[in-house]
Amino acid sequence: MKIINRFVRNDEGVDRSFAQAFLFFVLILLVAFLTSKSPFFFTWNNIRNILDNTSLQLILAIGMTFVISSGGIDLSIGSVVALSGIAIGLMLNAGVPIIVAAMMGVLLGGVLGAFNGFLISEFKIASFVVTIGSMSLYRGISLVITKGQPIYGFPSGFTFFGKGNLGEINPPIVIATLMVILAFLLFKYTKYGQYTLSIGGNEEALRRVGVNIKFYKSSIYVFSGICAGIVGLILTSRLNAAEPNAGFMLETNIIAAVILGGTSMNGGRASLSGTVIACILLSVVRNGLTIMSISSYYQQLFIGFIILLSVSISEIRQRRQLQIN
Amino acid sequence: MKGKKIVLMLLVVIMVMSLFVGCADNTVKSDAAENTEKKETETAADSEEMNPKIKEMETILMNQLDPMPEIGKGENVGVLIISLTNPFWVNMKDKYEKAAENLGITVEVLSAPTEGDTVSQLETLDGMAVKDYDSIILSPIDGNNLIPGIIRANQANIPVINLGPGVNKKALEEQDGHLDGIITVDFMNQGKMVAEDMLNYITDGGKVAIIQGLAGAGQSEGRTNGAKEVFENTEGIELVSIQPGDWDRNKAYEITTGLIQAHPDLKGIFACNDVMALAAVEALEVAGLNDQVVVYGVDFTGEAQESISAGKLDGSITYSPSVYTKAGLLLALKISQGQDITEPVYCPLAIVNKDNVNEFNGWE
Amino acid sequence: MSMVCTSDEFVYLENISKSFGKLEALKNVSLKLERNKITSLVGDNGSGKSTLIKVLSGSLKPNNGTIHINGKAYKHLTPKIANENGISTVYQDLSLDNYKDAVGNIFLGKEVTKFGFILNYNEMQKQTEKLLEKLEIDIPYLRTPVGYLSGGQRQSVAIARSIFQGKKLIIFDEPTAAMGLKESIAANKLIKSLPSKGFTVLMISHDLNQVFDIADRIFVMRNGEIIKDAVKSDITLTELKAGISEIY
Repeated sequence: MKIINRFVRNDEGVDRSFAQAFLFFVLILLVAFLTSKSPFFFTWNNIRNILDNTSLQLILAIGMTFVISSGGIDLSIGSVVALSGIAIGLMLNAGVPIIVAAMMGVLLGGVLGAFNGFLISEFKIASFVVTIGSMSLYRGISLVITKGQPIYGFPSGFTFFGKGNLGEINPPIVIATLMVILAFLLFKYTKYGQYTLSIGGNEEALRRVGVNIKFYKSSIYVFSGICAGIVGLILTSRLNAAEPNAGFMLETNIIAAVILGGTSMNGGRASLSGTVIACILLSVVRNGLTIMSISSYYQQLFIGFIILLSVSISEIRQRRQLQIN
Repeated sequence: MKGKKIVLMLLVVIMVMSLFVGCADNTVKSDAAENTEKKETETAADSEEMNPKIKEMETILMNQLDPMPEIGKGENVGVLIISLTNPFWVNMKDKYEKAAENLGITVEVLSAPTEGDTVSQLETLDGMAVKDYDSIILSPIDGNNLIPGIIRANQANIPVINLGPGVNKKALEEQDGHLDGIITVDFMNQGKMVAEDMLNYITDGGKVAIIQGLAGAGQSEGRTNGAKEVFENTEGIELVSIQPGDWDRNKAYEITTGLIQAHPDLKGIFACNDVMALAAVEALEVAGLNDQVVVYGVDFTGEAQESISAGKLDGSITYSPSVYTKAGLLLALKISQGQDITEPVYCPLAIVNKDNVNEFNGWE
Repeated sequence: MSMVCTSDEFVYLENISKSFGKLEALKNVSLKLERNKITSLVGDNGSGKSTLIKVLSGSLKPNNGTIHINGKAYKHLTPKIANENGISTVYQDLSLDNYKDAVGNIFLGKEVTKFGFILNYNEMQKQTEKLLEKLEIDIPYLRTPVGYLSGGQRQSVAIARSIFQGKKLIIFDEPTAAMGLKESIAANKLIKSLPSKGFTVLMISHDLNQVFDIADRIFVMRNGEIIKDAVKSDITLTELKAGISEIY
């Protein structure tokens, strides 16, 4: 006798959409509140600001969503942003064509990520340890190469990546949107995405069915590195200067956004839509505090408060329903 | 069960919202409350005689700013400072607000959440550029991080004044952006003046070291280069180490412990701000080398003042933040009222050391 | 004792030794697994049975000896070689990704794709339903993360995966240790039905009743050696129990 039930409840699905719905709800309320409080908030100029600022964080957060859902963490992204930006700056000043320099810079991000991935998967060192080391290493290289000085004076076409106009929106918004779509497809429809989750869910299980863990695990960090490389490109283009301090401590904001979005630090689950909403929410909070002229002290307080609250709520619900191990 | 959850959710949302509303209201209320309080203390302070050194500095600066703008037209000036985690900037915020009140204008002082957060500072400026300020005064974390925001402000026709750490003008101009005014401290000169004064107390030569701020930041590089030039051009003085302390108290402490391990005969430390200098003093105290090593900082914070008076810290360099911010606001008014000032305005500097610290009572 | 690999034997482990430093976990162990039969390893903790399984699944390299599989001889195996030779292990922890559903776990590592890279969920679900029907396995929630399923259902998923992934020899490590009575009866029934469906089974267990119930051949291990080899038809449960208590 067999009963096969095709259409079944999916507790986890319900749960995750709850967390996202909650965040979305907070976002909507916040937007409504800010709109009612300030005439400057709900203007196209300001919305564009918010989207523009969100897109940088979002691109990094997408890479981080992959890393965290695989049970790892990448603390080096801020430093990769700086170093790939500097590489682009040096190449531009050496007369390398813009498009080549841009691509090489993004690629360098991938290489720096591959170095992390190699150490993590080959020597089985915890990602926290490896990336806390490379965070310092890459930042150090940036400072040494530049002697602490920003690099600037690039050809005029270069600012397109950060500030060009595509109708009413900027390239970073387009790039971020494309990255979100790509990440969605990867997670949903490819082995790469599914294995990323399984590495977080049960790495040993994946190894036992004969999957090349080292390859997939390293490639997660390559992806994160590429995301950081793209942000390095955009940031350098936007500032029209490559700074050794670019992206300093950026990783904490990004990790916060990913966690807030509902991706579990334990790995195994990813919530891409949560990451998107969380990034927008954090940008709106920062922007809102500026618009309302509220001291920066409250920014930290407020963001910390939302993160702890949201994470606690979804963990409690999770715990109640899913007894794993 | 379900009802409970919804109630919980609503509760949470209300809490979150009330935090926002709460802090918004608080600032308004406390501002109002402070204003009335301040007025009293302010007038009281005015009637007391002003520190003669401040008066002297104010006169020098005001001469640079001549002719004066019309005052008290209720302009709204946005100020973007570096961070409220540094007492120096906290003090600057305070002085901005006092000066604005005396000038009869409104001022809103915003900042990045932490001192190294270049991206957030830019986001803050982006937000400011959509508001209706008559002018914006900004002090960037580093030379380039605010450039896109300055361009946004330019496009919105809000005059931009750069106070303190310099914006990379060349990079800005390449992108067709511009600054409408500059008021600054000559950082290189700060470094030079401190180093020269230190040498008055290190009479028989020896080893000295510099603790930098955040590598790449304008104040840090300028002060370091200025001091370096003096040290290297003085016979008998050997500059043994330049270390980045990132404006961080703890880092500076560790650097100092390391320095005295490596150079037990060290004679002087120049730290690029007081926070780091005070950390160096702490570390030297533990090692019992306080009397041997001359330590100077920059900024002359309240803590530094106490430390110098107590004979721990040896010296610092300062300008008057109240004069500085007042000048900044006046410059902003002049520019928003259509006067052109192309040349940078320099804030006068004063060395503080053990021998003259008493003259700085009531410094602000 | 000289053994020759015949066509009846799927695996023949010949004189396998393994030591960890000074500890000899396996001392010249030889063992045959007959095709379409259930063989069981019984022994106390530290008797070497887990080490033996690890050698067979490719996660440990023996110091000495030869592993014959289907007539091919290996000095040692890797998980990949074991996999390719149709050997799979259902570990006590089941090696399931708790966040994936039954379909995802059954196809883990062997996903069906369109155009070589797009995952084909419909096809995977169809094949899973067919397979489970054939095996008479009841998993009510195919699209629910297996973390929500019961122990017995999770075990069924793990077994289904081994079978689905084209395995011929399925090794069970304490298959019912963490299960309730009802579930372990169902699991035993499933394991018992495997030989008739063309599978060879090697099972580790503490539970002599279970072993006697389902195994065709029983090896008792102690201190890295096989000390008793019994064919079930030749022995009663009482004799088996008596024999073991004598040894220990």
